[in-house]
Amino acid sequence: MSGEKTIIEDVDRSFYDFRNEEKDAWKVKSGLTPEIVAQISDEKNDPDWMREFRLKSLEIFNRKEMPDWGPSIEGLDMDNIVTYVRPNTERMHTSWEDVPADIKDTFERLGIPQSERTSLAGVGAQYDSELVYHNVRAEVAAQGVVYTDIESALHGEYGDMIREHFMKLVPPSDHKFAALHGAVWSGGSFVYVPKGASVEIPLQSYFRLNSPGAGQFEHTLIIVDEGARLHFIEGCSAPKYNVANLHAGCVELFVGKNATLRYSTIENWSKNMYNLNTKRARVEEGGRIEWVSGSFGSHVSYLYPMSVLSGEGARSEFTGVTFAGKGQNLDTGCKVVHKAPRTSSYVNTRSISKSGGISTFRSAVVIDPGAEDSTSSVSCQSLMIDSASRSDTVPVMDVRTSRADVGHEAKIGRISDDAVFYLMSRGLSEEEARSLIVSGFAENVSKELPLEYAVEMNNLIRIEMKGAIG
Amino acid sequence: MKTVVNEPLAKTFGWLRVNGTEVDAPENAKKLSLSLSENEERTVAVENAAQIEAVLAKGATLKLIQLRRGGNETLVSDIRVNCAEGARFEWYRVVLGGAASYDNCSVELAGDGSSFAAELGYRLGGKEKLDVNCEAIHLGKRTKSAIHSSGVLAGESFKLMRGTIDFRTGCSGSVGNETEDVLLLDDTVRNQSVPVILCAEEDVAGDHGATIGRLDEQLVYYLEARGIEHSYVYEMMAKAKLDAVIRKLPDEKLRRELLGEEEANELD
Repeated sequence: MSGEKTIIEDVDRSFYDFRNEEKDAWKVKSGLTPEIVAQISDEKNDPDWMREFRLKSLEIFNRKEMPDWGPSIEGLDMDNIVTYVRPNTERMHTSWEDVPADIKDTFERLGIPQSERTSLAGVGAQYDSELVYHNVRAEVAAQGVVYTDIESALHGEYGDMIREHFMKLVPPSDHKFAALHGAVWSGGSFVYVPKGASVEIPLQSYFRLNSPGAGQFEHTLIIVDEGARLHFIEGCSAPKYNVANLHAGCVELFVGKNATLRYSTIENWSKNMYNLNTKRARVEEGGRIEWVSGSFGSHVSYLYPMSVLSGEGARSEFTGVTFAGKGQNLDTGCKVVHKAPRTSSYVNTRSISKSGGISTFRSAVVIDPGAEDSTSSVSCQSLMIDSASRSDTVPVMDVRTSRADVGHEAKIGRISDDAVFYLMSRGLSEEEARSLIVSGFAENVSKELPLEYAVEMNNLIRIEMKGAIG
Repeated sequence: MKTVVNEPLAKTFGWLRVNGTEVDAPENAKKLSLSLSENEERTVAVENAAQIEAVLAKGATLKLIQLRRGGNETLVSDIRVNCAEGARFEWYRVVLGGAASYDNCSVELAGDGSSFAAELGYRLGGKEKLDVNCEAIHLGKRTKSAIHSSGVLAGESFKLMRGTIDFRTGCSGSVGNETEDVLLLDDTVRNQSVPVILCAEEDVAGDHGATIGRLDEQLVYYLEARGIEHSYVYEMMAKAKLDAVIRKLPDEKLRRELLGEEEANELD
């Protein structure tokens, strides 16, 4: 894997930028109408409740205003977005040998099957609107862990569980793109970790969008039952096109009593992507959610994973890094709502802006009146590589009880000339020195990732730092 | 008629309702237009609401004291200041209660080396409300801003503090700092803090720190161990927070009046 990446460090993101010819894929017309939504529902063979849910969500989408507080999304014209693309395979496979050659080749180039063999307990791979591969190690399945595509779960023995949880944490009324997701969602993973089970090796879902002008709307639903543990990794990428692509996925995480879930994401969408994703976790008594988030791709991002600490002693940690380069406006951060006593949250983020990129850290910490003896600590640091770029920090704290301790610190600055000079005096070029400093700046995230992903993240930073000098 | 006041330079999530406040704006503000000449120094004290526009020429210094002692009125203030090269604006805002106060203070640090310092102190109880928007806009090189806010909330009082440090392109060498310290005395209070840093210039340093909540347990333990009753510890610390701001007022008469002669003499 690292050998291949040595090549792309010298060129323009070709590791992710390769594209496949669209052959034998089936897609709906571009735009968003009740007929298109019904067509997707037919294609999915939805149960009646889901069909109604989709059509109601579309009504909400049509009523909701565009957000007026974040980056411009004027370049996104829903009339030009194809909301469903079925790749050239009829069904999901459990062996890579059965996956069509071009799609398999895509995931081979992204290193997914290799990672599955060496460091993952299970893998789901989505290509455009459908899962094409899903598999889980036998020893993990033997613990009673369910890891499958969400549509199989919807139609199978977990149908009631899906209905009970689907878009309950993120209702379509939440915002315009949650409503869009409710209307046209397709693909995604379902994980259930039973009481007391511990999945020691991570599961990973990888989302690849190949079709130009298409949207990807996968739904990830994870339920970690009482006392269970899971590390789930989400990866995503797409080749770059001259037309806008859209990602409006939805992640809903239910963390049970005394359970722990780590949800890691390395997001590297292409720079024509509007990434309007919604992620939310509800954490019960004594439970813990750990978000690890690296945002590197996309033209525009709105991404704020939210933790709702609903049980006494529930905890949330958010560790994130955002790297905004040329042509990118990445608005990222997190939200935490403390609803129960003795809950705690810790937020630690870094953002880097270069070559005209815009990075905004936006957060909300809300301590409800019943959340006495809760604590929250937020730390965000931003690095400006040049004056063509922009870095904003927009945090909000809303405290509704006296019995809380809330702290916040933010810093914005530049790379120290002294540090660059020191490294150059030790034989590094200026570009290498700056790249090393930026990698160190982002260490808060890389140290939380499994080694293979930390390496990938550092490679991404090196790619982004190319041309940062002069 | 409803007017939207205290709209910040940068909006955030709509559900938090901090992107400006709709209010029935009364016509009770004192209107002032100030123009300070080169190197002029002036101290101005106003009570209650004020609408002030001030232009500070090169090297001028304006110290504005704005005091509210309480009352049942809704007061809406709007202060806009432009600082030329080397000019300095100091805003001292003390709120000793009052039904509802809406304060906007927007300062353009246009000239190289200009500076702005804000000292905000408040103590609210009952259903009192304080809603502040304070902006330091760095345009010139080597400009400095420092926004410090310290206060106490009791009863069902509400406070919203928006502080923005805005580094515009070209303001190289500038520094901005914002701190906030809020002591919450009752479970029915509500505090919102929105400390924003906007940055379009590489060669700057901006930071913010906030502490919101109750007193540090070790401090309370220390004072209680020395025989001070728990309730008095909080009262003492609440008074100390506000007095720390009052002591900085650049008007000795007012300072003595608010602190009391004995305490003021201790400072002399």
